[in-house]
This record gives sequence, structure tokens and C-alpha cells, in this order.
Amino acid sequence: MKEIIYNAAKFSLITLIILLFPFISTAQNRSVSGKVLSVSGPIPGVNILLKGTQTGTSTDVNGDFTIAVQGENPVLVASSIGFVSQEIKVGNSSVITFTLQDDINTLSEVVVTGYSTENRSQVTGAVSSVKPQQLQVVPSSNVEQQLQGRVAGLTVISNGQPGTSSQIRIRGFGSFGGNQPLYVVDGVPTQSIQFINPNDIESTTVLKDAASASIYGARAAAGVIVLTTKKGQKKAQKLSVSYDGLYGVTDPGRGQAILNPQEQADWTWQARKNDIFQNGGTIGPTSFAGIANGQYGSGAMPALPDYLLVGSKVGQPASAVNLEAEKLKYNTNPANGPSYLVIPANKQGTDWYKAITRTAPLTRHTLGFSGGSDYSRFYVGLGMQQQDGIVINNKFSRYTLRTNTEFDLSKKLRFGENIQLAYIVAKGLQGSSGGSLGNNTNNNSSVSSDENEILSAFRMAPIIPVYDAFGGYGGTAAPGFSNPRNPLAARQASANNLNRTVYGFGNAYLEYDLLPSLTLRSSLGGTYFNNYSTSSSRSTYENSENIANYTFNEGSGYGLAWTFTNTAQFKKTFGKHEVNILAGIESLNTGAGRNISGSGLNPFSTNPDYVTLSTTTPGTTRQVNSSLSKGNNFYSLFSQAKYIYNDKYILTAVVRRDGSSQFAPSNRYGVFPAVSAAWRLSSETFMKDIRWISDLKVRGGYGQMGNSNYLSATNQYNLFASNAANGYDLGATNNTTASGYYPSQIGNSSAKWETSITSNVGIDGALFNSKLEFVVDFWRKDTKDLLYQLALPGVVGVRASAPFVNVASMRNQGIDLQLSNRGKITGDLGYEVSVIGSFLDNKITAIAPLVPYFTGGGTRLGTPVVRNEVGHDLSTFFGYKVAGLFASKEEVAQAAVQTGAAPGRFRFTDINGDGKIDDNDRTYLGSPVPKFTGSISLTLNYKGFDINTNFYASLGNKIFNNQRWFTDFYPSFTGGAVSTRVKNSWLPTHTNTAVPIFESAGNFSTNTQANSYYVENGSYGRMQFLSLGYTIPGSILKKINVSRLRVSLSTTNLFTVTKYSGLDPAVGGSSDSAFGIDVGNYPVTRGYNLGLSFGF
Amino acid sequence: MDIYKINQEMKSNRNKTWILLLLMTLLASSCKDSFLELPATGQLSVSELNSKAGIEGLLVASYAELNGRGFRRVTGSSNWLRGSISGGDANKGSNSGDYGDLIPWMTYQLYPSLFDIGQKWSAMYEGVSRTNAVLRILPSASADVSEADKQRIAAEARFLRGHYYFDLKRIFNMVPFVDETLTYGTGIEKVPNNVDIWPKIEADFKFAYENLPATQTLVGRANKWAAASYLAKTYLYQKKYTEAKVLFDLIVASGVTSGGLKYALVANYTDVFNAAKETNSESVFAVQAAANTGSTDNANTDLGLNYPYGSSAPGGCCGYFQPSFELANSFRVNEKGLPLVDGSYNSATNQLKTDQGIVSDQAFTPDAGPVDPRLDFSVGRRGIPFLDWGVHPGYSWIRDQSFGGPYSPKKFIHYKSQVKNLSDATASTDTYSAINYNIIRFADILLMAAEVEIEVGSLETARTYVNLIRTRAANKDAWVKTASGNNAANFVISTYADSWNDKVSARQYVQFERKLELSGEGHRFFDLVRWGTAQTVLNQFLDYEKNKLPVAYSGGRFTAGRDEYVPIPQTQIDYQGRDILTQNPNY
Repeated sequence: MKEIIYNAAKFSLITLIILLFPFISTAQNRSVSGKVLSVSGPIPGVNILLKGTQTGTSTDVNGDFTIAVQGENPVLVASSIGFVSQEIKVGNSSVITFTLQDDINTLSEVVVTGYSTENRSQVTGAVSSVKPQQLQVVPSSNVEQQLQGRVAGLTVISNGQPGTSSQIRIRGFGSFGGNQPLYVVDGVPTQSIQFINPNDIESTTVLKDAASASIYGARAAAGVIVLTTKKGQKKAQKLSVSYDGLYGVTDPGRGQAILNPQEQADWTWQARKNDIFQNGGTIGPTSFAGIANGQYGSGAMPALPDYLLVGSKVGQPASAVNLEAEKLKYNTNPANGPSYLVIPANKQGTDWYKAITRTAPLTRHTLGFSGGSDYSRFYVGLGMQQQDGIVINNKFSRYTLRTNTEFDLSKKLRFGENIQLAYIVAKGLQGSSGGSLGNNTNNNSSVSSDENEILSAFRMAPIIPVYDAFGGYGGTAAPGFSNPRNPLAARQASANNLNRTVYGFGNAYLEYDLLPSLTLRSSLGGTYFNNYSTSSSRSTYENSENIANYTFNEGSGYGLAWTFTNTAQFKKTFGKHEVNILAGIESLNTGAGRNISGSGLNPFSTNPDYVTLSTTTPGTTRQVNSSLSKGNNFYSLFSQAKYIYNDKYILTAVVRRDGSSQFAPSNRYGVFPAVSAAWRLSSETFMKDIRWISDLKVRGGYGQMGNSNYLSATNQYNLFASNAANGYDLGATNNTTASGYYPSQIGNSSAKWETSITSNVGIDGALFNSKLEFVVDFWRKDTKDLLYQLALPGVVGVRASAPFVNVASMRNQGIDLQLSNRGKITGDLGYEVSVIGSFLDNKITAIAPLVPYFTGGGTRLGTPVVRNEVGHDLSTFFGYKVAGLFASKEEVAQAAVQTGAAPGRFRFTDINGDGKIDDNDRTYLGSPVPKFTGSISLTLNYKGFDINTNFYASLGNKIFNNQRWFTDFYPSFTGGAVSTRVKNSWLPTHTNTAVPIFESAGNFSTNTQANSYYVENGSYGRMQFLSLGYTIPGSILKKINVSRLRVSLSTTNLFTVTKYSGLDPAVGGSSDSAFGIDVGNYPVTRGYNLGLSFGF
Repeated sequence: MDIYKINQEMKSNRNKTWILLLLMTLLASSCKDSFLELPATGQLSVSELNSKAGIEGLLVASYAELNGRGFRRVTGSSNWLRGSISGGDANKGSNSGDYGDLIPWMTYQLYPSLFDIGQKWSAMYEGVSRTNAVLRILPSASADVSEADKQRIAAEARFLRGHYYFDLKRIFNMVPFVDETLTYGTGIEKVPNNVDIWPKIEADFKFAYENLPATQTLVGRANKWAAASYLAKTYLYQKKYTEAKVLFDLIVASGVTSGGLKYALVANYTDVFNAAKETNSESVFAVQAAANTGSTDNANTDLGLNYPYGSSAPGGCCGYFQPSFELANSFRVNEKGLPLVDGSYNSATNQLKTDQGIVSDQAFTPDAGPVDPRLDFSVGRRGIPFLDWGVHPGYSWIRDQSFGGPYSPKKFIHYKSQVKNLSDATASTDTYSAINYNIIRFADILLMAAEVEIEVGSLETARTYVNLIRTRAANKDAWVKTASGNNAANFVISTYADSWNDKVSARQYVQFERKLELSGEGHRFFDLVRWGTAQTVLNQFLDYEKNKLPVAYSGGRFTAGRDEYVPIPQTQIDYQGRDILTQNPNY
């Protein structure tokens, strides 16, 4: 708090000083207005820039603009995506009309980069920008997902759960964690953008290399995504209003193929036969006794029962059940004594995936109001989005208000603010969604790494009905079907699991033109959030492992992160020389706050209108917890200088010095320089004759970036902690404990900044009159002194968290390609094709002295699933390589000694050839990191119609399908649902298969080891969307006084081409060092959407 | 470049430039280093803990690790996995897939990367690190810690450290001994495992014995006699019978509990396992468990999987730790009520009748032959009342009979009348009890003392000690009764009436008595190893049990010279280096 007051005081001081400046100012200003037209009419949203300055505006819906010009011989530049830029000398005119050519050369875009904007042609680093139209054709709830397939080198792995966070990576994985990019929204850095309404976005720029991103310093090592929101224009005008609406539905698709009840019963019998085969016995009259608790009888053939459970009786025929009599005994309420259930068999089979999913609606409405006067501009956006998940009782709602304004306080002094308020309600979210503030070690969503309800839908035997005979839930209380819980019951109990968050995000700034060429800017921004959550879990009666208590949880937290930035920018052209210098100071806090939560059990009534913490059972079962954090403080000085000679040679140098509270005083500061240069060959006279080259630029950059994202706030300290879980009943009371203090963290005061060294060489070109454009980047990023939480040896005491030490190194390298071709097929039929592609090679180059590897991941398997080791990709799958299935006892006898070996079981490869299969025979089974990702986008225009589509491909990775452990092996959870893969399993009479024998034994040679049976090809291609739009011609609109009217129809995730057998090949992971393991992924499925937008 | 022009412009704005520069300088310098100093939140630095309360708190945490909390539920002091399952008292239970990692412990197919091996290692060293934290801070204790307190605290810490190392020693054999002088970065990870640590363990227990008071206000603390007992046990493990005898004589004659009760067997065997009665004259040193304290980690989490299975069963979850056929058969007695120490209890005529393969709906009559009454204190079986939970229904309380057999664990199960009172009411399952696990109880002392007597004392004293135990078991009032008040089975037990004349058979009697009296309490495997009979006994066990549970025991074989100790965890060798940690033989 002290720092906040301190900084506020500083802020006031600067404000005061800056306010005094106008009175000693002397420069001359005048106003010029105008219009920007294209062949088909006025163009809204065109950037108008006073050349050589930062003064700029953009056109309104009618293509009109007003701008203040100053200096001698002012020149205005009009630029817009989709048009060739045009420069006009103002001279003495007060009205200027631009007529832009309808040729889209992306090299002429204005791109928003670090703290400033620059022209595409002058960019020296690796920078990509995404047009807002490109984002908006993807009807997704969040901006992250809209970026998929749009930027070479940027990958998005998301899942279908609305409100989830996605794994966004720019150019691979620089670290074992903390690889999420930094978002900068209107100049304010943040870690989460889930509160942003996609319709409010004006520009998106991705900074990929050190030369472009290092100006953002410490938190930018994993790349930066710069977002700016819509502004409005300064000129006298009437209000313009826009509306964008979207309605859609998402179809859950089909679940995995599961054996029907009769098939499952038959295979259960087959398993017993296989057991007898393995043990060398013969089938006798008692062979089938006691299987599945007698549900299928004990005869030579299994018989499906009519009732799975009647009271304590199992596997009953309908003739033995008097429903009227049983109804009297039926009880599901523990208060009335032991439960008495009557569960009929569902012989047709329950589709549990279908039971927990639905066709889910999505609506989004955005109203935009923009306008201004000669001295002010504003944009107000009102947004509302409600998106239901395909899983029931899962919903994400977002209500947003954005106000962006700027006022000229004097001719040289501007005040502005960009503020967003958001209210977000998430219902029934599974897993955690990643943090909203602070310095999270990763922002991966955990929904795809938990054992969640999607997975339990595939574990539940289909013979179990959703509901029992008298309206209660059906479940594994009927013995013989292992222990999954009724997933529908769990989802229905989530109806009141709500998390409500209010966000305030934005900044306020002052800009002062000290000279026409020198602008000072001071900005104070931040995020505040307050959330409130309630959730409950029910006591159960229908499962084999019931939950005794109804539990109610209630909690709240708040946090504040702030950034205070002061910059000075000098921008001037002297004849052929153009100089642009930026210097700045920034201090920030990543987020400080507090949390409180409580829980209690068994209120008198579970009516949500009744339940509060106070109505739960009093006493020790009512518990409270709270925590606080102070975030991390950063203090940074930075400067960037750019020199352009004759529009040919461009040189940029950046240096930033960062200090972070995460480090001890001796290693607190890091200095990170970067240089880059570009040569515009096409401006050379010797190139002028080559007509087919419209533009050609060669770029190169080299630089360092610091990173501390992965580092905990308290890493420098040795700490002790006390909590309820570390007390001890010294007094032998049976119900109280004395408090214990235990070593909770081992500190490392010598940790220093991670450094990544990036080099980038790129070529930007436009050929054939800019019809064909390309951008190619060759890049390499070496991360050294990588902070890694080296596992402590056991002798140290490992309940203390280990310190982060600078030990590891990693290399990422690749090629990013971007190609686009546009033109006219016939007079009215235009097309644009753009292709992006990126090749990635990730390698761990060092972990630590002594430590050869570390492991992670997987669920329920006896061995770890991934190994991170030098020379291999991050999170590479590791285990036994299946050479095949043993064909016979003879083969077992001849093969290397392998525990549990028998016919039909896995035969592992004897990697080291020592004649026995043990730990030393484990090997690398594939990498989860795609070697290539790319997409093709196609746009066709015919008169008012347009068709947009995007096909995305991710190639060369593997997925560890952990779900197979549950569905493919009888002993994993005996009686649980069985995959149809088993129909192709090994039998003495069917040996030509890869699916092992279906039997009881669970051992080294069957289901317990991580092995290549679980590893699948993860490559996929996906038609991300296909949309058809129609824009009503301006001539018609004029009559109804509407400036824009467009309707569109689209479908998303139309189809996916993949060999992967799970629901969705886009598999994230709980962290990057345990990436690509599928334990029940919330799939991304097909959606249909209808869009309407208009403006007046 | 047109420098002149810049100069001109700058000149005309010189004042502003100066102010700007001043402003920048002000901002740059005014950010004090203090802005980048942020304290840790919600945690304490060591300098805040040197008060009496702080040091006692560090000691409390050293006790807390006794139940292995924070690791897997097989890592606590009860050693139900290594002591009992590897010793043949019980199998893993449950079904073959659930926590299949435990199967190699039954079949002696352990390998160095098996996760739970590393977990046990880490849990015990976590205990060591906590005791070392106490010993490290004591010299800088603040003035409110008296010399007497310092002495007691140091002695309790060294007692606990001795315990953690004792477990490490008998499980892993060769382990590094790290004390309070070593910390992370000052060589703790450089201590090799090439030195036998028995002398260090002895030294810790000796120090505790010499410095602890005979009684303690808080009776969960170790006292002088607990230290004497552990020291004597340490001597016994090293076959230092003479030193052990001196101590055992003293303990049997004069030992008292921390609460001041003279060491004695309680009249009712089941009181040892009843949370409401466990703090008694038999409890030499116990892991104190408490329920409803705000965290289930303070309960007996170590044994929390080991309850019958099914929605109507006690605790309901998770069907682990099912007593073996062989153990249950061991309770068969001859007509005099003496055990069949020749092994004939497994013969076709003597083995117990079971409900294996019979579902609960089908009729079954329990075995009617003579059995030791401790059978039904130790083994849950169909047809016999299960504490106050009603008659055990067999199949429907068993998770997967074809994998784990017909029996349920019984000793560490709370009573139905204690649910949510002496079991934790906050947990999702009712399996977190307040039942203590006795690391040493007086019956164990008597049986250890009997062993020592056979070697260096009197066979008759040994017989007397064993008979004390058998007499307590013969207390008819405590036997399991049916609802109508009759004995639940044909219980017959008597003392060894005839004098013992030769050491060989005396050893058999004592060893068999240990098996019966202490079954399921985590001793058996260690006893077999120290007696040198592990290979013979366990392979005989496997031969019998494999016929009953072929899936569970498939491939089981005990190999002498390897399977006495578990491998040094591969991950630890990787972390510390092959030159520091040497793998145990034949792994």
C-alpha cells in the first residue's frame, strides 16, 4: 500500500509539472478534416497519421476524419488493412480527400508494437498482426481461441469448456513453466484476457522475438500479444452506433465407442475363460461362480439380469421382484436408515456421454457507441455473452462495459482512459482455469488433466441406468461394476456451483507534446478483481464408494495489480533521416490480494436458498481458511532507438533494465539489450527495374530477454509454516492438536534472471504488384540459466518446497512462414488465400549437474508417463516399447525375462539386450510437441457475399491416451465400461492384433506400465470454421439510414481429420513439463452460428 | 544527420528539457530498493521461531510426521505394507488394478524406480529433517527456554530421529545418516550410504533414555521408558542380547507410560485398538491420531484405505489389507488350545473353512473347529460379529474376492458407535480414525524380552512372558460374542503348561506367538528377516497362498540376499549421484 501511495504521489507530481507546460508552449496547430473513400464508398476505421509524429486519428463510419496538423509541410498518411496507404501533402488545404486503392498489401499496415505504433514496412523484428475481422469470424468466447491458426509460430491448445483458459505458446517452450505470453491491453500488461469482449478489439499484434518484445522486458520472454481496443475519433460528429450479435449452438457430438451391456457381459465371461487359459486350467461347472457379484449368473453363458440391485439382492429376474412391495422399502435418505435401492438393468445400454451433454446455446450481443468532438473522442462498448458448455450445468456468462475516451486539455495536453468493467459468472466449471492475476507458474487449464466427468462417463458400465426404479439415481451401488460415480448426478449437483467475478481493468493517461516531435506520456493502469464463489457436493447413496457428507463451500478474494509507466518519445524526420527514440520508466506490481474460504457440512436442508456457512453443522467440521499475497514488484528502465535512412536502412536498438522483488538484492537487476536491422531492397535503385517485386525487405535481429515468470515470489527465503495438517495430538485427546511448525521452503538467494537469447532473420516481400506477399522468419531461441525447481533429495526433507535454481537450458528453433495471395478471379469475384506455417524444434539442452532427467504426468499408472531429459523434447513420453503380443508360451520362454509375461500380453522390447526387461529397457516413445502447425485461410468475395474458411493442421506430435487404462483392461477397474477396441483383443484363436488379451491379471506385462500401447499419433487437421456472409449494399442502406448491415452464417469445427482415438486431439496438460496426456478431455466440438451486425 | 537542427530545437526548449531531465532523474532515483523488498506472506522465518512456543512447535511437527503424512498412505510408522503385507499377514486387497503399485511388495518384485519406495524414504527423511530443525535451533533458543526444557526437547527430538532412522535401517539397510549440522547446500546431499548406522541410532536412543523424564504432562510425548524400550529393540535387531536383557529386565520391572501407568497388558485385547481406550498401560509409544481437528492428516491416515468395502460396510472404502488365508489358518489350535507351530494349520483338514466364491445371498456356515480367540480380534470374516457393525456378510463387504480373498482387516477399524466422533466427520469417506498405532506396545516388549531370555537368559522366563500374553488372550469376557451372548466361534486357548527345555522349540513358540499376537501390526516381515527365516517361511507362504489367489500372487518368489531389503530409490541415486548412494545388492 505504501508503494501505491508513493507512486500516486509521483503521478500527481508529474501531472502537475506537465500541466504547467502548456503555458510555456509556443507551437502552432491547426485542424484539417477530410474523407477517405474507396471505389465502393467511404471507408471507416482508416488510420490517419501526421507523418513523422505520433498524432493520429481514424475515420468514422462515414469515412470522415479530423486531425490537428502542425509543423512545416505537414503530410497526412491514410492507411487501412485492405488498402494501399496513401500520403497527401496538406499544404494550405483544410479539407483532404483520400481515395485508397483496393489492394491489400499487409506490409503497409500500421502495427502497434512496444509502447508505440509503427509502419509495417519499417518493422525490424518478428511481428505479426491479426485483423479484427479475422478474429471476429471465429465465434468463440475468448480472444485466445480466435488466435488459433492466425499467426505463424503461435499455437493455441484449448478445450471446449467455456470460460477455460488455453495453452497459448509463441515459438515453443522457453522454460519448464511460465511459458504463457504477456498480454498488453491498451498499454497495460496483464496475464488474463478472459474479461475482454472480442468485439471491442481494434488491433492485435504478436511480438515474437527479442528485438520486438524485449521493450516489454522481464515478463516478455515468452512473447507478447498487444491488444488495443476501439477508440472513436476527434472531430465534431454525430454519434455512431454499432451492433454485433451472434447466436449459435454447439453440438456435443458422440462419445467414445463402448461395449453394450450384452457385449460387456460376454467379454466378462471371456475374461474368465482367458484367466483359465492363462492358468492352464479347464472350464468346469463352477468356473463362472462369483463373477461381477453374480449379476450375470454363473452359467456357461452370461445372462443379463432384470434388476441389478433390489435391497441387498443382486442380479434379480423381474419375476422375483414385487415393485409395489419394494417401493415401500425404498429409501435413499440416510436419515431414515440404511439406503434401500431398486436399480433395474438398462439392457439397451445407457449412453453416459449423451446423458451428461446437450446441444449448448451461445449468444453474444455487443453495442458500440463512438463519437467525439474536436477536442475529445470516445468509444463505449456494452457487451453480453452467455455460453453454455456441452456438459450440463456448465455455463460462462460475461457482461462488459468498456469506455475509452480521450480529451484535449489543451492543444498539447491530452488526457485519456481505457477502462473495462466486466462481470463474469462461471457455473459448474471443471478443473481450475488458471489464475487471473499475479505471476502464475503456468496458465494451463487443468480440465484436460483431471479425472473429470467426461472421463467418468466412459468408465460407467452402460447396463447401469441413469435413474433407478423410483426416481433416484442409478449407480455402482449395484455391485459388480467397479466404482465410478454417476456422472449425471455429479453434474446435476453442480447447478449452484457459481463463481462470480467483477473485474476492473484499464488505465488513465496523460500525454503531452513537449515539442511537435517529443511526446511525454504517463499512464497508470491495472486490474482489480473481486470474486465470490459458492459450491457444494452432495452426499451420495447410489455409488459403491459413497460420499458421507453434503459439503458446502463459500469463498471470496480480491486482488489488485498496477502498472505505472512514464515514457518520452521523440520522433522526427530530417530529410532522409528518420529518428524515433523512446525512453521510459515503469514500476508495477503483479497483483496483491487476499482470499478467504470456508466450508461446512450437512445443513438441515440442502435447498440453495437455505444453505449458508451459518446453516451448516456447527463445530469442528466448519472450517475457515484464508491467504494473502503481495505479488511481485518490478521496476524497469527502458529505451528504444530507431533510425531509418532514406526508407532503406532501418536500425533499432533496445535496452531494458529490470529489477524484480523475486530476487535477492545481489541479483535483483538484469540488463537485456537487443538490436535489429532491416534493409528495404526494393527501395534501392537497382531494384526499381525489377517490376515483379513490389516490396522486399530483409530483417535480422538479435537480443536477450529476461524472464522470471516461473519463479515464486519468496524464492530467496528459508521459511517455516504451520497449518491444520501439521499439528499433533500430544495430549492424547483424540480430537485436538498442538500446532506444529515445519520447514516449508528452502530458499535460494543466489537465483538470477533467466536469459533467452533470440536471433531472427526474416524476409518480407510483396510480388506481382503486391498480389503475392510473403513473410519468412528463421529463428532460434536459446534459454540459459533457466530457473528450475530442482527436486530435493529425500534426505533434505521434501515437504519443504525446493528452491528455484538457474540450472537448465533449452533450445527452440524454427521457421515461420506466411504467404498470401489475393486478387480477382473475375470482375466481381475476389479471393484471398493466406497460408501460415511454422516448424518447431524443441530440445532440452541442460537440466542440472547430476540430474539426468525428471519425470511427470499420467494417472493410475505405476510408472511416470513423461521424462524431461537433455537432448529430448520437453515432456517426451517414456516407457516400454511394445514389440507385439506374446503369441504363445513358447515365445514367452524364448523371449527376454519379463515379469508377468504370458500369451496375449505385451512383449516389451529388450532395449539394452541384456535378456531381461526392467527399468533400463524403457525408452522414448514420442514427443507431444508438434513439429509443424499451420493453416490455410480462404476468403471469397462476390458483390456483397463473402465466404471465409480456415483449415488448421498440427502435425508430428504424439498423445498419451491415458483413458485406455480405464477402458481397455479388465483389471483396471473390474466391471467398469469397456471400449469396443476389446472386440479386437488377443485370443488364442485371434493373435493378429495389437490389443492385448482381456483377462484379470493386472501386472507389469498387462496394464500397469507406461508403454507404447497408450501412445497415439496426435496429428490432426481441422476445418476451424466455414462462414458465409452477406453485406447489404450501401445504396440500399442509405435509404434506411443505416451505414452497415451484414448477416452471416457459420459453422465451427466442421470436421477433424485425425487417427487419434480420443475425443479431441488438441490435448493440453496441467503444465508444460507434463504436456499431451489425455485423461478425459473436454472436447472442442462442432458449432453453428448466426451473426448479425449493423451500424448507424 | 542534421545535428544543427536538433540543437536549435533543443536550445529553444532548454528549460523544458531541463525540467524533463530533472523529472526523469527524480523518478529513476526515487525508486528506492525498498520497493523491491517484499516479505514472504503467511510463513515464518527461522528467527521468529526460537522462543519456547516456536521450538515446541518445531518438535510437534517432528511428531506429526510419524504417520507419514504428506506422502502416500503406505509411508507411516505402521509399516502395514512392508511389515505386514510383505510379511504375509495380509495381501494388498481391493482389486488388481487399483493401486497396482502395491503388488510387487507381495510378490518380491520390487524395482528401484517403484514410486512408493521413494515415498517411504522421503517420508522418513522428512521426519529426520524436522527433528534436525529442532536440534539446530536449540543452541540459539531465546531466554524463555529453560535448560531443563532444552534437555527434554533435545531428547525428544533425538528419540524421534532414532525412530525414523530405525525404520530406514530395517527397510533399506544402508542409508546415509544426516544430522543437524548439515543443511541443503552445506553437504547434506554428499553423505554416502556406506556406513552402518546402527551406532548412530543407538546413540540417539541412549541420549533420549538418559535425558528424558519418566513421565510427561502431555502423555503423547516419548518418555524415558519409551526410549529404553526402543534402545532395547535396537539391541535385539543387532543380536546384542546381553545389552538388551539388562534393559528389558528393567523395563518389565519398572517401566511406566508417559502418563505414569506401570507397564502392563490390558485385560481386554481389543482395548489396544479402541480409540476410546487406547491410552493405557500397554501403550509404550504410539502414533497419536486425532479426528475432527481441521485436517484428516492428524487422523490415522496411514491405515485409511484398510477398511471393508461397499456402501453398507464399515468405513465403506477401500477394501485394502485383507488378511491372508495363511494367517487366518495360523489361529487354528489343537485340542489343548495351543497353536500348530509345525505348520500343519495349512493342511486340508486344519485349514479354516471360508466363504471364498460364495456370494452373500447364498448360505454359509463358518468354521466350527477350535481357534485362538485372537482370530476374531484380528481377522474379519463372514458369519462373525464385526465389532458393533453387525455380522460380517462376507462377499458384499469384499471388493474383489477373487483377487483378495474372503477376509477383512479388523484391528484398526473404529466402532459404529464412534462414527464421526472418533472418526473424522469432514472427510468424504469414514475411514480417518482416531485410533493410535502403537509403535511399541507392552506385549511386544514381553515377546522381545522372551526372545532375549531364550538366547542369554532363562527359557522359563521366556515361557512366563509368553504365558502372560496367552493368559490375557484367554480372558473369556473379552471374546467376540454373538448377539445371543455365545462365543462367536469355537475359541480354545491355554498357556504353555510344560516347561521349555530346548532353545529350538522355544524359539518356535515365541516366534509363532509374535505372529499371532502382533499380526497386522507391521512387524512380521522385519521379524522374519532378523530371524533369518524369511526365505523359507515366505516361499512356503507363497506356495500356499498362490493356490488360493493365483492372480494376486502370480510370479511371487522370495530371493535371499536381495529381498530382505528394498532397493535404494532410483530417483534418490539420480539426485545424489552413484558415488554417494550405492544400490543394495542384486537390484
